[in-house]
Amino acid sequence: MKNSILLILIFLLVSCKSEPNKQFIESDTVHSLALKYAKGFSVVDYKTFKVLEIKNPWPQAKKSYRYVLISHENAAKTSFMKDEYDAIILTPIEKIVVTSTTHLPALELLHVEQTLVGFPGTDFISSENIRLRVENKRIRELGKNESLNTEILLELNPNVVIGFGIDGNNRSLETIKKSGIPVIFNGDWVEHSPLAKAEWIKFFGALYNKQKVADSIFNSIEKEYLKAKDIAKNAKIKPTVLSGAMHNDIWYLPNGTSTEAQLLEDAYVNYLWNDTEGSGSLQLNFESVYVKAKDADIWLSPSNYSSMENLKNANEHHAMFKAFQNKNVYSFTNTTGNSGGVLYYELGMTRPDMVLKDLIKICHPELLEHYEPIFFKRLE
Amino acid sequence: MSDRNTYQVPFIVSIAILIACFFVNISLGSVSIPLEDVFNSLIGSSTQQDTWQHIIINYRLPKALTAIIVGSGLGISGLLMQTLFRNPLAGPFVLGISSGASLGVALVILGSGLFGGVFATLFVSKWGLVIAASSGSFLVLLAVLMVSIKIRDTMAILIIGLMFASITAAIVSVLSYFGSAEELQQYIFWGFGSLGNLSWEDLFILFVIYSLGIFMSIVSIKPLNTLLLGENYAKSLGLDIKTSRLIIIIATSLLAGTITAFAGPIAFIGLAIPHITRQVFNTSNHKVLLPAVFIFGAMVMLVCDTIAQLPNSDFTLPINAITSLVGAPVVIWLLVRKRKMVF
Repeated sequence: MKNSILLILIFLLVSCKSEPNKQFIESDTVHSLALKYAKGFSVVDYKTFKVLEIKNPWPQAKKSYRYVLISHENAAKTSFMKDEYDAIILTPIEKIVVTSTTHLPALELLHVEQTLVGFPGTDFISSENIRLRVENKRIRELGKNESLNTEILLELNPNVVIGFGIDGNNRSLETIKKSGIPVIFNGDWVEHSPLAKAEWIKFFGALYNKQKVADSIFNSIEKEYLKAKDIAKNAKIKPTVLSGAMHNDIWYLPNGTSTEAQLLEDAYVNYLWNDTEGSGSLQLNFESVYVKAKDADIWLSPSNYSSMENLKNANEHHAMFKAFQNKNVYSFTNTTGNSGGVLYYELGMTRPDMVLKDLIKICHPELLEHYEPIFFKRLE
Repeated sequence: MSDRNTYQVPFIVSIAILIACFFVNISLGSVSIPLEDVFNSLIGSSTQQDTWQHIIINYRLPKALTAIIVGSGLGISGLLMQTLFRNPLAGPFVLGISSGASLGVALVILGSGLFGGVFATLFVSKWGLVIAASSGSFLVLLAVLMVSIKIRDTMAILIIGLMFASITAAIVSVLSYFGSAEELQQYIFWGFGSLGNLSWEDLFILFVIYSLGIFMSIVSIKPLNTLLLGENYAKSLGLDIKTSRLIIIIATSLLAGTITAFAGPIAFIGLAIPHITRQVFNTSNHKVLLPAVFIFGAMVMLVCDTIAQLPNSDFTLPINAITSLVGAPVVIWLLVRKRKMVF
């Protein structure tokens, strides 16, 4: 008797475990998304679903994050080992929340900006198209990236939230994850070259099943960038360039391995600190900057100072540089959207070709005679 | 007379060290400049490179003089507060003077977006931060003064000062929450403190107000010594407590308020210098302590600045970090060695 009960129980257990849905295994690989520059993510296509891996969401990240991207139709037929993935995301995305203005140009270029339903700090948005949607209340204000308004976000119930993290600690994103809304950390800003950062448009392409469109957009950005780089090589002189500015006693400027410095290198200029290495920016003493850059020809991006007067008021030593005296100071802080967001911060990362052309126009005006700079303006 | 004999040697030695610190501070920096050229720059002769002259005359010299003013001014205001409140933990920051300054600066930097108008224009003007910080500390001081007229107990005033500090800190955090990244950055930079941001013109204005504060402190030497005996005893000796207290508080606010306005909230110096001086001179007589605190404050600040500049490297550190890193262990060491606090 006991044995028969045991048998029935075993039978019941086994029949419960037998799966009505087919379980996919990753060995069915079809192909991986081709990436030329970006190292922080990968997309592997398994015909009926894709696996997106974010390898480096923030500097020195200890683990990578894996997401399944699957269509509604296939999702109904498939089951996944949930523990193996950080989230299962249904594509194409119909409602999205992004948290950085740098994510917006990709949505716009892919023509999916109508899926954006919420954004923290809508005032920072420069894109006219998306601003219009904010004004028409199609995009909800979500507060701040570090403390997103969870209630509004839950009400919006997006398919996915694209976050970014300086490190793994963002409590509001954790809360959202726990409530069942998938969160993907975008690590575009960790990439080490301008084109690698721009290539993250392919990440959004994968979310919207628009890989081909994303590929062709990136290819044309790359082509334009490389073309501009070639043009710059024709320059006869390499002007010396100073960057950054002083806050109190300390002069903050980009180090030689930063993307800013690479853009300067590609614009064929002599950035005076191009021999430095390291992450983050350099924090130098006024004396050493003064001795090295007193006679520099051009001063680019003097921090967030928006006029020559501001620059001088902040520190009288700023006026001691030749570039200041000759009014050769250029900044992107004055190119803003209607509510004050700086366009460079929004579009610059996705369109390094435009940034490079701006720099070439400033440093070698004869090479791009008919080009009008988009981000950089001479400080008045 | 006996005082003069006892303290003559330590005074001469410390003045000599102060002068040495001043010259070491001027000769060391990121750029190595030969001593001869440092000297030539100071006397106005030509140097091998023009940039060197600019560095010595317009950067290092005002920075060194600022260090002297900041160190001595904060040290003396700390001494005044410690005696007035008869509390070894008192300092210029306790009365809420520095929090008031922080609030003023926060309103200008972080509030410009929120309030617009006046604040936005102040932010652009050169004197924006200085005016904001000074008026912030003055307003908080005024409030404390009004309370002190009603309340006679100095301990109560001390606590009220701390409460004002909490209120201002709370307002600053609300403003920070709404501030933009750039504004927050600007506010944090101010919080690091800096000595090398003053032009000769700024330095002159700082010096005038500072001198007034120092003068008022010198006038207060006698009342300070009497106050050490306790308020009731001082009263029985015929001291006008109210007036003395007012003069001491105004002197402190002039010194700490303007210094904070120009150089940022420099931590630790105001609290620690009087203790270091008392340990070395082993006295509580303000006739000795006041000039000694002046010399020690200036000396410590010059040393801290020299360290912060990391001589011969391109890098530099925020002065606020160095004042705490260098000063706190010294106080701990002195206390452990002497096994008690001279107060």
